[in-house]
Amino acid sequence: MKQPPQLADKLLRFFLSDDRLEEVLGDLHEEYRWQVNRVGERRAKWRYWRDVLGFLKPWAVKRKVVEPPAAASPTRYQRFDPYSTTSYFNPAMFRNYFRTAWRNLVKNRFYSLINMTGLTAGLAVGILILLWVQDELSFDRFHQKADAIYRLENWAGTGDSRQIWTSTVAPIAVLGKKELPEINDGVRISYNGTYTLFKYQDKTVNETGTHFADPSLFSVFDFPLIQGNSANPFPDNQSIVLTESTAKRYFGDANPIGKILASNNNSSFRVSGVVRDFPKNSSIQGDMILPISLLFDEMYRTRTDGKNKDNDFSQFDYETYLLLKPGTDLGKLTDKLRTIHLRNKPDDTDLTYLLQPLADMHLYRADGSPGGIETVRMFSVIALLILVIACINYVNLSTARSLLRSKEVSMRKIVGAAKGQLFLQFVIETALLFSLAAVVALGLIYLLLPAYNQLTEKQLTLDVTNYRIWHVMALTIAGTLIASSIYPALLLSSFEPLKALKGRVSARFSEATFRKVLVVAQFAVTVILIASTLIIRNQLSFIRSKELGYDKTHVFAFFMRDMGGHYDAVKAELLHQPGVASITRSSANIVRLNSQTGDNEWDGKEQGETMFMRPMAIDNDFIPFFKMKLVEGANFTGAVADSTHFILNETAVKTARLKNPIGKKFRLWKHKGTIIGVVKDFHFASMRQKIEPAIFYYEPANLNAMYIKTTGKDAERAIASAQKAWKQYNPDYPFDYAFLDDVFNRLYLSEQKTGMLFNIFAGIAILISCLGLFGLATYTAQVRTREIGVRKVLGASVSGIIQLLAKDFVKLVFIAILLATPIAWYTMSLWLEDFAYRTNVQWWVFAIAGILALAIALLTVSFQSIKAALMNPVKSLRSE
Amino acid sequence: MKRSYLGEFEEIVLLTVAVLELQGQAYGVAITHEIIEQTGRSVRLNQIHAALDRLEEKGMVKSEMGEPTAERGGRRKRLFTVTAYGRRTLQEIQEVRVSFWSRLLNPLNLTIIGG
Repeated sequence: MKQPPQLADKLLRFFLSDDRLEEVLGDLHEEYRWQVNRVGERRAKWRYWRDVLGFLKPWAVKRKVVEPPAAASPTRYQRFDPYSTTSYFNPAMFRNYFRTAWRNLVKNRFYSLINMTGLTAGLAVGILILLWVQDELSFDRFHQKADAIYRLENWAGTGDSRQIWTSTVAPIAVLGKKELPEINDGVRISYNGTYTLFKYQDKTVNETGTHFADPSLFSVFDFPLIQGNSANPFPDNQSIVLTESTAKRYFGDANPIGKILASNNNSSFRVSGVVRDFPKNSSIQGDMILPISLLFDEMYRTRTDGKNKDNDFSQFDYETYLLLKPGTDLGKLTDKLRTIHLRNKPDDTDLTYLLQPLADMHLYRADGSPGGIETVRMFSVIALLILVIACINYVNLSTARSLLRSKEVSMRKIVGAAKGQLFLQFVIETALLFSLAAVVALGLIYLLLPAYNQLTEKQLTLDVTNYRIWHVMALTIAGTLIASSIYPALLLSSFEPLKALKGRVSARFSEATFRKVLVVAQFAVTVILIASTLIIRNQLSFIRSKELGYDKTHVFAFFMRDMGGHYDAVKAELLHQPGVASITRSSANIVRLNSQTGDNEWDGKEQGETMFMRPMAIDNDFIPFFKMKLVEGANFTGAVADSTHFILNETAVKTARLKNPIGKKFRLWKHKGTIIGVVKDFHFASMRQKIEPAIFYYEPANLNAMYIKTTGKDAERAIASAQKAWKQYNPDYPFDYAFLDDVFNRLYLSEQKTGMLFNIFAGIAILISCLGLFGLATYTAQVRTREIGVRKVLGASVSGIIQLLAKDFVKLVFIAILLATPIAWYTMSLWLEDFAYRTNVQWWVFAIAGILALAIALLTVSFQSIKAALMNPVKSLRSE
Repeated sequence: MKRSYLGEFEEIVLLTVAVLELQGQAYGVAITHEIIEQTGRSVRLNQIHAALDRLEEKGMVKSEMGEPTAERGGRRKRLFTVTAYGRRTLQEIQEVRVSFWSRLLNPLNLTIIGG
């Protein structure tokens, strides 16, 4: 015979009062049998569940059983009275709880307001931060196969030069997929710098976010094609897939499929697909995708050295993603890939492969060490701290003021309230205040979100349909509610009525201590935040003021494109223009040298040793232009012989272990020559990185980056003249220039944003703690009104009374400073370790933080203290 | 006339108990099915239990445990019987209604009079 659902029975046994269980269960089972015959098993089960849940009502649920009183009179109906107390969940009492809670809030407007403000600010900021954290954590996890996709990277180089490249050679993906059963599929993506100009009718756009990719991009990842065939997105090499918004940009609402986009070098592309815009939380971004076969065709069609897309193991230009079989041993797989690589290119002995999970790409560095996750952790901790501070405020204020409620609690107990009911009452009171705060906080978040998005460069929205947002909010609100309601409710419900009514309740030692501990915790957090803010600020200003090794002031730069061929004429012309001081050129932007090569040789290079260097071709006036210092040797002169001359930086000389480098032989790529100079080390990357070996060489054909130093005053006019020259040679391209100072600042954008957010969050945390302290101080002053009155009558001075009131708090703040210093020192040292060049943590930072915290506390407390001290004692004593 | 208030639904349950107790079948499931059959209302077991609970509290029914049966998994039924007080209440309700009905001269022409 079919049985009714077991789980439903278990549930019923759990909540239904014991004396009803037998009959109800019996009835339910009988009904179930009957229904199975009538409507079938499936629907009978549904009904069974519905019926069971129907008994989840106050009259039927379990109650606390009490012993019947000794002299209980025999009752008429044995099933009732003597065994159970009243239910905790009595609707009438609920109404009463809400009413008293509301009256209390309104009666104590001042404290309610302090609590509300603290909670609202805490919740709003806490939720905002957590939304950011959630967004960061969601990166690249939306792909269905995210767990099986890995980015292929490789270690390259030896010794100090050993480093990870996140781009690989092209054939490894294809060979790996063919030979290794663990690899289900592979995707290669390569940046497209060839086709940048796209034209449709009268619309011309210089596209900067376009990539070549394998067709598998659309099947391995969850980038759905809205139009087009995802199995064959590129029917031929002249096909192109646009994102939805790119398509809209060119064609408006017209159907983009089949439309022709004209591009550089008389080429044209037919739109073969439209992909949904890459989600904001995807590491892979782009506007247009071109077939990678087109790139290969161009690269290898005219090659005469026999290299093709399947055997060129020297071009590390491709981001490679592999879709693996579940349960693949990553270590074994990377070894196998290395074997394949070495079989094809035996001299790459320094190369080893590694795989990074797709979901880790955003928050971890290529070698798996924590990257952005540290900021995420830091902000999560701050969010938590802010919420904790807000909770502490509430707990402190409500426990401190609990004495005032002792009479109410006692009366309720005397007329029969159980402890559990009182507990419930105070939890409800907290919940009411919290709901009010939460509603206001939601409104605040809504208002702040645009500014917050700008600051964090996110696109967070309060989208009601996004369940993930509600997740965060519900958890935060529920968590803080639980944290701050339990202790006060326990305390309040545990008053002993007789003592309380006799007026003998005094703050117990443990409660006062508990409150003090909380205040100390609050202020320790405050001190830590102030100290961290100062240290971050120090480090940022250190970076900005550090000697870079070159002078970048008033210099703007751009890549010349077609103007490059007319450099000399343009230079001569521009030098006559107002505002232009001097001009030079090189092959890359000095603030960020991105390219790198290990293709070099010198006397004394060991077998298998690799030194990666940052190569840059420069003009002969480049070094004087940037006021760089030559430690030894001479600069290029511009003579033809310079094409076999090199200038190294100090680090390169040291890494290559060259003594007396001038005149030594050196090979860079195919150029064999001699070292003629050594330039003093200069920073060509973020201060997070150590200075690496760099090399200057002379190759006039390769100098496409133009630098113009302005006089500083007429910068606008210098830019205008440069733009005019630009238009002459590059009519189709926008004039895209940047001041080196700005490029430099952009290197530290994330640090600056972090610093700024930190400032704001720290400020809010401090504000909330102050609110709490203010409330406590007010209360203390209130309680001691009479004492102060008597003291004044007996001749105490105002300053003496202020001291008396402030003393306790100041002591707590001192303890907080002592506790906070080592914690702040330790965490900030960790943060600083990320920078290759950094300031030390100095002791005065903590002194300032401590003094600031103390000042803030004193200010907050003294306002109330002064008010109390100035009060006329007659007023406070008269009421007695 | 003072009596305990009896809701409409309670009244029906009480009447059903009165009818079914003659066969010794006045318990939860049987009452539910009987009411569904007679009135066409969709009644659920928990509503019947709640109503019986209230009636017992008001003293209109009393109950005792019956014999265990196999279809209930060997569990006993709680069998209800109407108390004297319950019967009197039912009768009073009936009398009130009858006296009102009798004051309508011709109940069948109700609509005509009303119109």
